[in-house]
Amino acid sequence: MRKAISSLLAISAATALGVFPAFAAAPGTIAIRNARVVTVSGPVLQRGTIVIRDGLIEAVGEQITVPSGAWVIEGDGLTVYPGLMTSLSTWGIPQPNASGGGERNAPAPPPARGPEDRPATTSWLHAADLIQSSERRLEAARSAGFTTSATFPVNGIIAGHGAIINLAGETPGSMVVTPSAGLYMTMNPAGGPSYPGSLMGVIAYIRQVFLDAEHYQMLKADYEKSPAGKRRPAYDRALEGVLNAPRILLPAVNAAQIERMLRFAAERKIRAVLYGGHEAYRTAEALKQSGAPILLNASWPERDREADPDAEETLQVLELRENAPSSAAALAKAGVPFAFYASDSASPRDLLRGVKKAIDAGLPADRALRALTLSPAEIYGVADRLGSIEKGKIANLLVTKGDLFQERTRVQYVFIDGNKYEPAAPVAAQAEGAAR
Amino acid sequence: MRFRISLLSLALCVAAPLAAAPPIVIRNANVLTVTKGSFQGSVVIQDGKIVEAGPNVLVPQGATVIDANGMYLMPGIIDCHSHIAIDAINESSVSVSSMVSIEDVLNPDAISIYRALAGGVTTANILHGSANAIGGKCSVIKMRWGKRASELLFQGAKPGIKFALGENPKRRGSAPPGVQGTPNLRYPATRMGVEDVIRQAFTEARIYQAEWREYYRKVEKNEQAIPPRRDLKLEPLVEVLEGKRLVHAHCYRADEILMLLRIADEYGFKIKTLQHVLEGYKVAKEIAAHGAGASTFSDWWSYKVEAYDAIPYNAAIMVRKGVLVSLNSDSAELMRHLNTEAAKTMKYGGLSETEALSLITINPAKQLEIDHLVGSIEPGKQADLVLYDKHPLSNYAKVQKVLIDGEIYFDRDKDLSERPAKEARKKMLLEREKQRQAEQAKNAPSGRQQ
Amino acid sequence: MRVVSLLILISLPLLAGNDDSFLIRNASIHPVSGPDITNGSVLVVNGKIADVGPKVAAPKGVRVIEGRGLHVYPGMIDSATQLGISEISSVRETNDIGEIGKFNPQLRASIAVNADSEHIPVTRVNGITSAIVLPGTSGSGGRSPAAYVQGQASLIRLDGWTWEEMEVLRSAALQLRLPSLAPAGPSPTTGAGKPARTSLGEARRRVEAEKRDIADFFEQARRYQKAKAEGEPGLKPDLRLEAMIPVLEGKVPVLIQAEREKAIREAIEFADKQKIRLILANVREPGAAVEEIRKRGIPVILGPTLELPLDEDDPYDSAFTLAGELHRAGVKFAFGSFENQFARNLPYQAANAVAFGLPYDAALRAVTLTAAEIWGVADRIGSIDKGKIADLVVTDGDLLETKTQVKHLFISGKAVSLETRHTRLYQRYLNRP
Repeated sequence: MRKAISSLLAISAATALGVFPAFAAAPGTIAIRNARVVTVSGPVLQRGTIVIRDGLIEAVGEQITVPSGAWVIEGDGLTVYPGLMTSLSTWGIPQPNASGGGERNAPAPPPARGPEDRPATTSWLHAADLIQSSERRLEAARSAGFTTSATFPVNGIIAGHGAIINLAGETPGSMVVTPSAGLYMTMNPAGGPSYPGSLMGVIAYIRQVFLDAEHYQMLKADYEKSPAGKRRPAYDRALEGVLNAPRILLPAVNAAQIERMLRFAAERKIRAVLYGGHEAYRTAEALKQSGAPILLNASWPERDREADPDAEETLQVLELRENAPSSAAALAKAGVPFAFYASDSASPRDLLRGVKKAIDAGLPADRALRALTLSPAEIYGVADRLGSIEKGKIANLLVTKGDLFQERTRVQYVFIDGNKYEPAAPVAAQAEGAAR
Repeated sequence: MRFRISLLSLALCVAAPLAAAPPIVIRNANVLTVTKGSFQGSVVIQDGKIVEAGPNVLVPQGATVIDANGMYLMPGIIDCHSHIAIDAINESSVSVSSMVSIEDVLNPDAISIYRALAGGVTTANILHGSANAIGGKCSVIKMRWGKRASELLFQGAKPGIKFALGENPKRRGSAPPGVQGTPNLRYPATRMGVEDVIRQAFTEARIYQAEWREYYRKVEKNEQAIPPRRDLKLEPLVEVLEGKRLVHAHCYRADEILMLLRIADEYGFKIKTLQHVLEGYKVAKEIAAHGAGASTFSDWWSYKVEAYDAIPYNAAIMVRKGVLVSLNSDSAELMRHLNTEAAKTMKYGGLSETEALSLITINPAKQLEIDHLVGSIEPGKQADLVLYDKHPLSNYAKVQKVLIDGEIYFDRDKDLSERPAKEARKKMLLEREKQRQAEQAKNAPSGRQQ
Repeated sequence: MRVVSLLILISLPLLAGNDDSFLIRNASIHPVSGPDITNGSVLVVNGKIADVGPKVAAPKGVRVIEGRGLHVYPGMIDSATQLGISEISSVRETNDIGEIGKFNPQLRASIAVNADSEHIPVTRVNGITSAIVLPGTSGSGGRSPAAYVQGQASLIRLDGWTWEEMEVLRSAALQLRLPSLAPAGPSPTTGAGKPARTSLGEARRRVEAEKRDIADFFEQARRYQKAKAEGEPGLKPDLRLEAMIPVLEGKVPVLIQAEREKAIREAIEFADKQKIRLILANVREPGAAVEEIRKRGIPVILGPTLELPLDEDDPYDSAFTLAGELHRAGVKFAFGSFENQFARNLPYQAANAVAFGLPYDAALRAVTLTAAEIWGVADRIGSIDKGKIADLVVTDGDLLETKTQVKHLFISGKAVSLETRHTRLYQRYLNRP
């Protein structure tokens, strides 16, 4: 802190009084000078300089001259990382209160009696249309070092399209990096007496939807070619949403589920991204062969504190709890692309704690960092603009004092689209801890 | 530990095809072939198959020899009706759920697979529950414990589908006792409705079949055509109509059994097996005439109204009247002693030993159309074998070893000797978890300790 | 074969005036109380065993049953059924098992036994001549999960025109349920309908409250007992508390189902504290509590040995080996089928235990004499001994083997028909043209 900032000092001092973290009024050019720069895509620069202009990384290197007029942050004792990215969350989408969902008081819809009723399907929803820049969880995420999220609608069987979003912006639209990250699916039955009411029903339903989408596309193409004399195919928003998905997110926590989803993806020739992965330590080879990436839920399974202490635990469950955090290391070793996320109920800091456990279970720290930065960007096809500290990429940066995965380490700033944010006061961090 | 085993076996599959495995000779056994009589002698296994069986055999060079010491060797037990190893029970939302598939929900980690093995079962027909007049697709699996879900599947088994008649499929047509009104009742509520649902479905299937035939006709003539929408519900029914998919129908009462046979006659397909078929003995003549098989319980009765006329003589009467009969378990527990279930048909109805053993080996193999591959001890068949210390129809018999494809999947001695290690591993994991929890409590941020 | 036995039954009255007096000769006799007699006779006079041995002097004119190639055993006792009080387990109206209310010591199973239940003949023709009828145990329909004191179990013989004729002991035991953290629900083997989750603290508070309720009830009963003994003036009769007196006096044992070590220890602790006689039932994984059970001589009613292991990691044969383990530990046990439709398979439960380590003699004893001892009727039934009631099973082989056929059945010396609903349907449809 002592000598970190020169020209910026005044601004941050002023905004520190506000409730929200400092929102830097669009500066022309910022330079972080002589910091330890962990680029992720290349070697670590022990004394590197980063120049940020117009929200982008203009230059990075050890021999960079700071442009005149730039606002300079002295980087001695600081480490700069690419801004962290969670590979799956609902951050940015306002969540309904505990008192009930958005549709309360609405009469229950009649039960679905088959795939034609498109049960529990909202494939036309786009996270990019749902996010709000004031969403309450964004601040905690930034404070923990996160700049980016793969944010998805998650309700139902075919929930909707995710977006890669930056975790700050003046308008929701300005937060969106890409509105089309993939289509999120679950294996949750539709509920009540509706079809599908079981796992096998859900899989059959999704299979039918894919077949319907192919057929729909065929009909549409045929009609467009020569509409005269043909009955036009009815517009189907559920199928439209499936057709334009660049990838499909499928849930797979244990080994049986992972293999099940890989088989399903291969059968339907889906570009699948699996999420869950707690038993991935058993299935790294199968994942490698499939080429499908997997998102690891770093909220590792733990013994339920409300469980009967005398209740018998199975060896399978004990093995899972013992070995789940080693999944990341197994995937890294096998060369399977993976990234981290955490359960919706977990805080951003919990996500980092979970990653720390993966490191303790054998994952090299640099691979852990990659799985929070460049790997998710690659999985979602945005590595050309995000995920590492490279010239031309979006200036999403994390500046810390100390190593990222140490509990004592403090987040000094995050930069999102080149705008600087300081973490909320430590009091907030404690409150977050207590609220768990 | 199991993980390691499965990886190992996987690696073996990839690295070295079965051909490299040495031949196995089981000698000095009381061999109950089921189809070719019984003898004291040996069975030779090569590349997962039985190559020779007889009182005197040539022992191939380098063969692994298992001395049976006069114990009893019989074909692996085949259970025509089981619900183990799946992550789903019923798709109860619809009366026709032919779109769902057991293959999608197999779980190779289910301990019931190992337990079934330990009861001498090597193959089972896995079905879901009986909530639907027309249910989903079933899968025939082998108890290849330690392998992946896809590796459990019995290669070459004809696909099947489950139907269900009587009380279960009509249950959701009536409000549960005490519930007022008619909350989301599902048709049907009567046996009349069950028949209607099935006829309706096959009527639709015929229309669907015609659409596709028309499409293929056009394609053949090089006419412009867009294929019809694929309907996963109707596709399996078309396969039934075309004889490509076997119908396994859960049923109890004579009236519903006859009803289904007549629907099948009307639509021109065959019922492969009637499952449970507790009143099969009342219409055995009609069942035999249709050519349906019957897969029943040994002695279940009285657990519901439609099981009140169930008798333990059911299997024997049907056998005597020319029906192809098997005994099934429908239960992860009963599955472990189908051999003594078979013995009950000797007590009730006087079947011979071979007839009794057929009910759990070659007959279910025929019902699943895998009898050219398994179900008896004959050269050329897959080496799915069970070794018992006593005659398998005795209540005092214990399974000693079980082989599938010539590979030992269960060995009682090994099971016994591995128990301490398993217990120790568990204890260690519990201990480590306690340690982790203690550390966590220590390292927790101060805010959390309040 | 059946035709032959029917002929014998029909011809019996011709040979002797008394239909409960006869001689079985040249048979293998398995008295259970003593060594087998390879070629012996049993003389029954007026429904009681008058003599048994290699050489028995038969009174002149007595009806003779030729036993060559046959075996004679005492009738078996099923120590846990719902025979007569449950007909079709899934149909509420046919079940009289579980009553409403938490404390029902006054309920008596035998008076609700339907003497015409089809289950009774079906069960007895496999050699089971007596059964304990338990109220309030599992079985769908009418089970009240909240009941602690579920009612009195009765011992019945499986023949009679009325329940009164069938009744051996109206009050064989009082069935009690102790609270546990896991709320009473469907059996873990079926897994259906998991009970709603509560927090651990909540569950513990519930268990404590339930334990207090039970202790209070026993305390109330004790005061009533004392007041009655002291002839307290104006004491109003209370049927519930009245029914507790034989229990408090130790005349009627309390039967508690306890699967695991913890539940077993709690049951023992409870019995100690209340100074009541305990019978443990449905024991599955006693663990180290076996020693406690042995030391106190607590009898155990084992559930079916053909049962899945209680826990996933248990040895696959844990239910098969349990009886053998209890035997080696010196625990006294009998078998109960706990389900009507499979009551007739009681001998196979014992046989399976033999396959997995229980000595044959102990297995046979567990379904006959040991059961009689546990229920306090060994002076009357359970073995082939002079003076005992002639509950006899005549078979063509080992009683515990499935293949074996029962050739004659005698209950209280009376030849019982081997016809059942099942044989009737069999004959009818076998002969369907």
